[in-house]
Amino acid sequence: MENIYLTIALAPLVGAIIAGFFGGMLGRTATHTITILGVLVSTVLALYVFNHHVIEQGSIFNQNLYTWMQIGSLNVSVGFLVDNLTSVMLVVVSFVSLMVHIYTIGYMHDDDGYTKFFSYISLFTFSMFMLVMSNNFMQLFFGWEAVGLVSYLLIGFWHHKESAVEANLKAFLVNRVGDFGFLLGIGLVLAFSGSLDYMEVFSSLDKVVGQSLWGADLITVICLLLFVGAMGKSAQVPLHVWLPGSMEGPTPISALIHAATMVTAGIFMVSRMSPMFELSDVALTVVMVIGAITALFMGLLGIVQNDIKKVVAYSTLSQLGYMTVALGVSAYSVAIFHLMTHAFFKALLFLGAGSVIVAMHHEQDIRKMGGLRKKMPITYWTGLIGTLALIGFPGFAGFYSKDMIIEAVHFSSLPYAGWVYYAVVAGVFITAFYSFRMFFLVFHGESRIDHHTEKHLHESAPSITFPLIALAIPSAVIGYLTIDPMLFNGWLDNAITVDAAKHASMTELSKMFHGAAAMIPHAVYTVPFWMMVGGIAAAWIFSLYRTQWATWVQSKFQGINYILESLYGFDRFNEIVFVGGVKKLGNFLWKVSDAGLIDKMVVNGSARLIGFIGSVVRPIQTGYVYHYAFFMIFSLLIILTWALFAGDNPLLQIEF
Amino acid sequence: MELLSLLIWLPIFGGALVIFIGNERADTARWLSVAISVLVFVMSLSLYTGFDSATHLMQFVEKASWISQFNINYHIGVDGISMPLIILTTFSTILVLIAGWEVIQKRTAHYMAAFLMMEGLIIGVFSSLDAILFYAFWEASLIPMLLIIGIWGGDNRVYAAVKFFLYTFLGSVFMLVSLIYMYNKGGSFSILDMHNLSLTAIEQAWIFWAFFMAFAVKVPMFPVHTWLPDAHVQAPTGGSVILAAIMLKMGGYGFFRFSLPITPDASLQFSDVVIALSLIAIVYIGFVALVQRDMKKLIAYSSISHMGFVTLGVFALFLAYRPDSAEGALLGLEGAMVQMISHGFISAAMFLVVGVLYDRLHSREISTYGGVINSMPKFTGFAVLFAMANAGLPGTSGFVGEFMVILAAVQANIWYAVLAATTLIVGAAYTLWMVKRVFWGPITNPAVETLNDINGREFFILATLALAVLIMGLYPQPVIEVMHASIDHLLNQALTSKL
Amino acid sequence: MMNTFQFDTASLLAALPEIFLLSSIVVILLLDLFLTKGFKQVTYYLTQASLFITGLLAFNLIGHPETIILGNSFVLDDMASVFKVFMMGAAMVAMVYSRHYLTQHSLFRGEYFVLVLLSILGMMVMVSGYSLLTLYLGLEILSLSLYTLIAIARKRSSAIEAALKYFVLGAIASGLLLYGMSMIYGISGSLNISDIAAFASDANLGSRETLIINFGLVFLVIGIAFKLGAVPFHMWVPDVYQGSPTSVTMFISTVPKIAAVAMLVRLLIDGLGSMHTYWSDLFMILALLSIALGSVVALMQTNIKRMLAYSTISHVGFIMLGFVTGVITGYGAAVFYILVYVLMSLAAFGVIILLNKKGFEADQISDYKGLSKSSPWFALMMLVVMLSMAGVPPFIGFYSKFFILQQVVSAGFITVAIIAVVFAVISAYYYLQIIKSMYFNDAEQELTIAAPMDMKLVLSINAVLILVVGLFPDFWMKLSISLF
Repeated sequence: MENIYLTIALAPLVGAIIAGFFGGMLGRTATHTITILGVLVSTVLALYVFNHHVIEQGSIFNQNLYTWMQIGSLNVSVGFLVDNLTSVMLVVVSFVSLMVHIYTIGYMHDDDGYTKFFSYISLFTFSMFMLVMSNNFMQLFFGWEAVGLVSYLLIGFWHHKESAVEANLKAFLVNRVGDFGFLLGIGLVLAFSGSLDYMEVFSSLDKVVGQSLWGADLITVICLLLFVGAMGKSAQVPLHVWLPGSMEGPTPISALIHAATMVTAGIFMVSRMSPMFELSDVALTVVMVIGAITALFMGLLGIVQNDIKKVVAYSTLSQLGYMTVALGVSAYSVAIFHLMTHAFFKALLFLGAGSVIVAMHHEQDIRKMGGLRKKMPITYWTGLIGTLALIGFPGFAGFYSKDMIIEAVHFSSLPYAGWVYYAVVAGVFITAFYSFRMFFLVFHGESRIDHHTEKHLHESAPSITFPLIALAIPSAVIGYLTIDPMLFNGWLDNAITVDAAKHASMTELSKMFHGAAAMIPHAVYTVPFWMMVGGIAAAWIFSLYRTQWATWVQSKFQGINYILESLYGFDRFNEIVFVGGVKKLGNFLWKVSDAGLIDKMVVNGSARLIGFIGSVVRPIQTGYVYHYAFFMIFSLLIILTWALFAGDNPLLQIEF
Repeated sequence: MELLSLLIWLPIFGGALVIFIGNERADTARWLSVAISVLVFVMSLSLYTGFDSATHLMQFVEKASWISQFNINYHIGVDGISMPLIILTTFSTILVLIAGWEVIQKRTAHYMAAFLMMEGLIIGVFSSLDAILFYAFWEASLIPMLLIIGIWGGDNRVYAAVKFFLYTFLGSVFMLVSLIYMYNKGGSFSILDMHNLSLTAIEQAWIFWAFFMAFAVKVPMFPVHTWLPDAHVQAPTGGSVILAAIMLKMGGYGFFRFSLPITPDASLQFSDVVIALSLIAIVYIGFVALVQRDMKKLIAYSSISHMGFVTLGVFALFLAYRPDSAEGALLGLEGAMVQMISHGFISAAMFLVVGVLYDRLHSREISTYGGVINSMPKFTGFAVLFAMANAGLPGTSGFVGEFMVILAAVQANIWYAVLAATTLIVGAAYTLWMVKRVFWGPITNPAVETLNDINGREFFILATLALAVLIMGLYPQPVIEVMHASIDHLLNQALTSKL
Repeated sequence: MMNTFQFDTASLLAALPEIFLLSSIVVILLLDLFLTKGFKQVTYYLTQASLFITGLLAFNLIGHPETIILGNSFVLDDMASVFKVFMMGAAMVAMVYSRHYLTQHSLFRGEYFVLVLLSILGMMVMVSGYSLLTLYLGLEILSLSLYTLIAIARKRSSAIEAALKYFVLGAIASGLLLYGMSMIYGISGSLNISDIAAFASDANLGSRETLIINFGLVFLVIGIAFKLGAVPFHMWVPDVYQGSPTSVTMFISTVPKIAAVAMLVRLLIDGLGSMHTYWSDLFMILALLSIALGSVVALMQTNIKRMLAYSTISHVGFIMLGFVTGVITGYGAAVFYILVYVLMSLAAFGVIILLNKKGFEADQISDYKGLSKSSPWFALMMLVVMLSMAGVPPFIGFYSKFFILQQVVSAGFITVAIIAVVFAVISAYYYLQIIKSMYFNDAEQELTIAAPMDMKLVLSINAVLILVVGLFPDFWMKLSISLF
């Protein structure tokens, strides 16, 4: 088996290296063939692995490849831990990545960085594999940062755009803030367990119980620090600010990295650490609340966006919020479930958006679109499926996962769970609203496209439409197919620990679950369903039926509108406090303290002092011989007097 | 002559030879000096291959009476601490010589000779087992650097050179006095004897601070770091490289070889002070680096900040040590070693990167550049890699040391770790912000468009360093395991009180 | 028996070098009168020859059992012989350098060499003097010939001024010395060093005697300090160094210092060693003052001769520290230092003289700009000398400082050692100034070297020795200790 896992990881790496170093020589076709083959291999093997572990319930694979460092009894290795959770992630990542690879052929068709782009996304795939297959914290952090690096490179892919290079710097730094906590968390893990290997750490958890740090419960501190890392990667408030900016990158990576896979690494990580999080209700509560805030308020921002990608980006933020909420209520498997469905339909939506963007010659403002339905049927229908999945229309993938999350919150006994419940339910309305607002504005109504673009507006190339279709299918059915085994029949049991006694959500869920089919009719009796319908209706009214009402609402609630338009002022705050403040501080420390105080005053000052003394003593040397004579006699007298009284007790001598 | 002696004297006499070849026959001088340095490097590799990592005892030892009046001996040898640093020295010297190939047109032979001689002297520093021999090499190595900065340096070179010399000279004379003191007490200048010399608390305190003066200036630690920015900015690229890659390590090495084993109790007593200074270096200097407008100055400050991890790792050991598990302390010490070596690669690479740009536009100002990637894609690739290494990205050597030291710091005191870990953010901020302003973005300065990408020679240098950085980042174990025995022994010395 | 002179050759053999030198002086003096313009060089070669032979004779006497002749007024021991050998060597080198200078500045006269030889004779008497009288005699022979030597450039007002200052102050100093001697004589009732030693070491010495000896000591110390040029009796040093013709400056700053140290040893160690505790503190204060003032004031100088004058003052400080320790090895360290100092000082002035040309004194630090380009080899030599003076290893200057510091510390004067090294660092600054001019600055005027081959050769050897002896100082350290 080991070789298979190795191949899964290395195939994309090989592709990346070839594309990166020899892409120029090989030419475009060869390059994308090689990289796609690489990912294809991984995908096939991933399915095999999935079958082996999940379907056939194969035993967990946990083995070290090589020793990264050995210090005393501490062994830090690079190795694989493959259980069902890993298998699921492998399938999701490899499949979406494969689709994105294919999609790129069409999307980046006339870009100079074609081969470079392929090498980057393959490299990303490799890093993501290393992240999910890791069996220890060091390697996790490795992959964690590696995906961050590729994300940095890809956001700034169009490096001639100032906004792009602003965005990638911002993305990297905000992620670093998360990593700051993450690394400290890892450090504490090592400190108490003496190991970085997952299994050893989890098995020594009993040591940590009852210990405290900073007055708080140690395990709580650890979990919160680790969660800070997750907040960075999975863009939870207030570390979400980088994700909208990341849309500066080409659309395929928005789909792959900033929607489907990388941003869900945080969710994956917390689920991995479920044995630890289970020990701290405080941490879980924080996770849940942060998730709820993200889910609700980031969704609200989606309403006022007019950039097609930005809308999807904010919906991603809000969906990540949902997953985080699920984690908070110990419904890890639900979180992973939503992660999976979301990966498919969000990738689909992004690629669909990309397809539109290409057709519109890189026009991204949805107010300048409309009526594309006829022009781009495939994009339209797949887009519809994606949207329905996103808003959780009964039967579609998102329906199951999101409904389960809401129910899980409903059953949660954590403090504030009640509020969070309202938040996530309200979120459904908002999701439906902005999703369909965008959908209607893009595909329905009369066209607002300028004629030039209008003329040669056509459905995208097959290399673009194929991935859309391929993703549309799972977006539609995957929820229906997998909800039962994944949540209630133990697909993930060997990877996830839930303290059912304290956190009953999952058990409650399984009690009320009567099969996927039964959920659809039952939906109409639930609040979320009507919220969704309301959302769609509202969207239809404001964007098609009575567009002027929208402007009226805007003018009526200018305050709220302002707050939303200014994105709650997070960016401005960071700009002023962090960027500006740090620069001021730096300049102060440099100019005043370092150059001024230490160097000028102390260092050069002492030099100048000596020089000064010299210039004071020097005039004694008048050049007049009688001065000299006088000086000699004078000193003689002083010495004589001294000799008279000094005697023979030695000066400055230390006996030892 | 044994291997180590060859490593020391071959470059020195080779350098003399190169001087006699003279500046007129520059090419002969170039080829000869590079040949010598390569030879020395190859020979130094047999230190690694022939090294027995099972023992902490000195290896490749040579001993001959030198000044019998004070029974000072020509006594050299290496252990797991000095050996990697020697190889680092021989390695970077080659790169520096090649880097100066066509850049240095003024008095080429002397330039090459200076670097060769410095190589020999520095190897001498790392391999001396006799305190006076050590001191002689330690001081002598200032001379070539003084000349390199002063002759081939920038506009303000004289100030920088003199400042560098006096600063470090002042630091080390106190070391000399304390060495003499220990000789008068123990009757031997052998460093190993000094390790076993029993000293009272007072004596240890004095000796500790005397050593500290010498080593802290070299490292350099806050607040005695102010010579470094001037020296780095004014020095020619090669000078900055050697300065950052190797000379700073002499200070760190001193803590390993002298402070901890000779004055363990004082080290314990004052470890808080040193750690505080290290943390200031990491955080404070990080902020200072953030606002630099001169690329070399920025890297110089980032060097100070990175070297803060070395001293932090070394002196965190007392708090990180647990009777039941020494891992914390070991992580600190070995992390410090790894950090030194990795910083050797990365800082060298960063200065060479700046050098490449400087050779083309003769400006170190960040504002001169912008959008360099458009005209120099290959070069930008390397630059970004090294920048990431400087920001401590996993997979590069820059991560390993910081990771180990931070893990150690957590065990020492979580707050130390918190402060140290800020480098994750600040370090990334100043490095990548510079990268953004220099390499990314639209071209602002027309001159940048005309830049031509790195030539084969530059490619070779940067590629070699890139390999070193990556290999060490992905598989540090080979480097770490050679130092185990010595570090374990050092840890015991540091933890056994002399009182 | 003691006080009767006996003129048997056996005993006179001990004074053979002096006797030979004296006779050759007479010969040269007379011969020089008859030499026509073209043959002046002969005087020079004769001088060198006589110096060489004298040195050889002295060398012969090394290891000769200690003998005291001429009514206990003249001693021959290893220290005397070794010192003489070194003095001859230094003098010969100095003469090689001087010749270039003299020819360049048309000061080449027979008297010059005769005076040099005379002063050397005086020094030899000082080195071997074993009674207060002989010592004083030697000192006066030395001083008087030096005064004249300076004034030999009679067309230069600066030289005349320097000579006069030196003369007046020197007279005062010898007056004080003589006064001190008379006190010692008065209380001990003998001029002979060994008798004085016996008297001073007498256990039941009354407080009155002690006080008088103590006072006498002060005067002796001052006399010596003046010769050495220690603060606060250093005032003459900068002016004389700057004013005198460079060749004379070189001579004054080298050979006589050895003699002064010898006299110091005879008077204070052989004679009043038992009173060590009384004079060591005084010495220490003078030493520290010299080191400090020498280092600090030199920072201000732009004239290299004046700068070297101050550097001499601080070197003298280090030498005196060696005597503060009051142990054999300490004295050895001092002797080692003086020899090293002479070697370095010769080389330093050698380079200055090397650059001398008609009408160009090369005595401004700025005159050295760009030397490393026009003549890299001699720039390197000067670099070596300067770093050595600054006490940077591996050059010999480091080991001399190291030796002194080691002794000072082992005598328990750690604070003194620390003060000394700090000022050593400060002094490094002005040595760097010269390196800066030579290496970091570009030439303002074209520097050409007119010096003859022999000078270049000797200078090179001289400077290379600074490095080589630095690499293998052991023998010389042992030698210097063995002299006591």
